Amino acid sequence: MASVRTQREIRQRAPIWLVGLLVTNLVIMAVDARDADGRQKVLRIWTQTFASPLQNASSKATGATSGFFQQIWHFRGTAAENEQLKQRLSEVETELHTARQATAENERLKALLNLTEQSNVKTVPARVIARDPSVWFNTITIDRGRSSGVEVNMPVVTAGGIVGRVVTVSPWASQVMLITDEKAGAGAVVGQLGQSGALGSIRGRADLNVALIEMRYVSGLEKVEVGDFVMTTGQDGIYPPGLNVGKVVDVKSGTATTAHQILIQPGAQLDHLEEVAVLLYHPPPRPTEQTPQNVERTRR
Amino acid sequence: MCGASAQVWPIGNWKLTFGNVFMSQLKIVVVLLISILLQLSLREVWRPLSYIDFPLVVVVYIALQRDAWQALLVGTLAGLIVDAASGGLVGAGGFSKTLTAYIIYFAATRVNLENPLLRIPVLAAGSLLDSAIYVFWHRVLGYPPVAPLVQTMSYKLIATTVVGTLALYLLDALVAERSAQRRQFATRRRVARRSTGPLRRR
Repeated sequence: MASVRTQREIRQRAPIWLVGLLVTNLVIMAVDARDADGRQKVLRIWTQTFASPLQNASSKATGATSGFFQQIWHFRGTAAENEQLKQRLSEVETELHTARQATAENERLKALLNLTEQSNVKTVPARVIARDPSVWFNTITIDRGRSSGVEVNMPVVTAGGIVGRVVTVSPWASQVMLITDEKAGAGAVVGQLGQSGALGSIRGRADLNVALIEMRYVSGLEKVEVGDFVMTTGQDGIYPPGLNVGKVVDVKSGTATTAHQILIQPGAQLDHLEEVAVLLYHPPPRPTEQTPQNVERTRR
Repeated sequence: MCGASAQVWPIGNWKLTFGNVFMSQLKIVVVLLISILLQLSLREVWRPLSYIDFPLVVVVYIALQRDAWQALLVGTLAGLIVDAASGGLVGAGGFSKTLTAYIIYFAATRVNLENPLLRIPVLAAGSLLDSAIYVFWHRVLGYPPVAPLVQTMSYKLIATTVVGTLALYLLDALVAERSAQRRQFATRRRVARRSTGPLRRR
């Protein structure tokens, strides 16, 4: 009988629990949404602090699982050979696989190191531990946070080019908004900074299947061709000038009164990111706006 | 705690002891953790796998068992954890999954959804509802999702329904003990109601 009463109580109280939980979620959502872009989201720091160990574990588990299946695959290919050879072969293949991975990683880290030397900005190497689990957004999580000196809005790069900017920092992990996100943007120039007048701004496209960036506001009078390189200008206050963004893959020419419509293939391999570098870059403070003297005089 | 362990609730041929309840809850927690881990990690293996909403499948399964409290709690927890790792608003997934869980629970208490074939439209509706609520809140609060709406919703619906149907069979085998008790209990209640109906009284 006790159980009957419990079931009935559960049925009667379910709407109250529902309302309670929905209100809780709504409050959490409102608090998270209230923090404007560029500010540290307090709620997210906490959630990420708890989520990052889980993400780290899942990342390691994924690596281990795929490694396991790769091993099975290798074993299957050598099924016709005898046990000893199979054993030896698998060992050699595993070693080779590990060595190749190490070489590839070495190359990538070398490239990152090169980038550090070139950019004169302190960098923090980081490993991508997770990608956005929802299908609706496109962020990555890296294993470096406030304890490594990472701050909100710091640029994240690879040797290939810019990756995005840090949007949330917890003590041991950070969330990075990719440059292909619709809300991401940066000042950019087609060609070399200081030599080209094809200045504009880049923005991600709302299309997850094709990781492209669009460049806007480039004067239709400027010459832009497919294959041209795009660099950052540093005017956005996030990315330092002179970083590679990518390569122009499509141009719809503008006129004297309309801008070019340019599509850029990001230089960084955004779908296969493993190691990245966070640039500990603080943009130079903008000069304070000085009111012209004649305005002062008029007021007086 | 000690008193509870000694308590036994007889339901039909089943004896719902504290140990049984604890094991059942433990199974749910383990299944939920696995589903969240899969959700967090499968995108790295192959991107289209992220269209399968594993936590939603678990939420739908519990809601179909007519366990309101568990379904609501699991919905909120699963949603919040996935939100924490996602670029979207924290709480949006929790909200959508909690509401989806309640609607499915509500339907399951009024319509017999025990038939495995009926689970397919329930999963599909759950997926659609979850996506619609999730996107609705993001748009209302000024964080429109990056992914194209119709395409993503369709892919998610197909992937979650197909994989979810198979996963529900698996869950039936793993966590079915308590649901069998509840089914038996529901049948007894129906029979008891019939016997006290106005026609019977005459």
